[in-house]
Amino acid sequence: MEHTEHLEHTESPADIKKQIWRTFWILSFLTVIDIVLYFALLSYHSMWKNTLFILLGVVKAFYIVAVFMHMKFERKALAGIIILPFMLVLVLIWLVLIEGGYTFDLR
Amino acid sequence: MANTTTLEAEKKYTWGGGKSPFTVSYGKLMMWIFLLSDAFSFSSLLVTYGFIRFTFPASGANEIVKPLSHTADNFVEAMREAHLFSPEHWPLPELVFNHFPFLHGLHLPLFFVSLMTFVLIFSSVTMVLAVEAGHRNAKKEVAFYMLLTIFGGIAFLSCQAWEWSQFITEGASLHGNPFGPTAFAALFFIVTGFHGFHVFSGVVLNFIIYVNVLDGTYERRGHYEMVEKVGLYWHFVDLVWVFVFTFFYLI
Repeated sequence: MEHTEHLEHTESPADIKKQIWRTFWILSFLTVIDIVLYFALLSYHSMWKNTLFILLGVVKAFYIVAVFMHMKFERKALAGIIILPFMLVLVLIWLVLIEGGYTFDLR
Repeated sequence: MANTTTLEAEKKYTWGGGKSPFTVSYGKLMMWIFLLSDAFSFSSLLVTYGFIRFTFPASGANEIVKPLSHTADNFVEAMREAHLFSPEHWPLPELVFNHFPFLHGLHLPLFFVSLMTFVLIFSSVTMVLAVEAGHRNAKKEVAFYMLLTIFGGIAFLSCQAWEWSQFITEGASLHGNPFGPTAFAALFFIVTGFHGFHVFSGVVLNFIIYVNVLDGTYERRGHYEMVEKVGLYWHFVDLVWVFVFTFFYLI
């Protein structure tokens, strides 16, 4: 397979570098937000807090996959075969949360 | 004229065989498939953590140990006496992960693990810069950024080794845990160990690629696609850490 088949060659190296550093700052900023929120909400326990942290994790994951792993520039078909099967994990989480509720009641 | 017909034929037969319908090479596609399966492994581990975490009530005490406050050597015993650590409650992460190298006796919750997170994000950036240099066939730059990535990986592994030894010194193991339920320490060692092993494999792979870059293997081949494939793996390791960090240290 030749290497020249890529879709991204319209961008100049300077543009790509700029995008990489922008992503770095976004990731760092989100991590700092994580830590600040952790201390701000130290005595507050709720499912919403956990959901918020997981959502921040998903946003970070999006930037890593889209920019660092180049998914944004690949064909939609590739994104589909990787991301769609992974969505099955949501079913596992859903089942485990139901089961966890019952186990909690038994303790 | 001949050109346009070929283009039309190509558009028509995307799935007709003879070329990759994903416009990526075989190796890269397989790396993606491998990462998908690996993502399932990590998801099951983290979902297990979430499940067991969910079935234990969180420590109910509202007392907060202030960051930076000086703590005695018997911090764990004091926490147990205050009922902040008990086998019935899941421990609060800021009371467990509160050490920093060379700053013994200070309560520094999450500082060390944040440092580890930044080390890993930064090594991901140097990796993607190596890939970018590879597109321009700039051998020296690729080698330089690969070396930085390897150093980042080694730094992360050293941090993890220190954290593990600290945790073990305090009495945590796969079958015992001074902070709370046994499952807490067991899951910590299994999940961070599995991730750490991925980082270790990544460092080994990066090193092999680094030697090949210096050797001129990819220069002769005409492209640096191997750097991209290893890069995908390395970013995945960073991606997993985002969630290990979220589940173990924030929730």
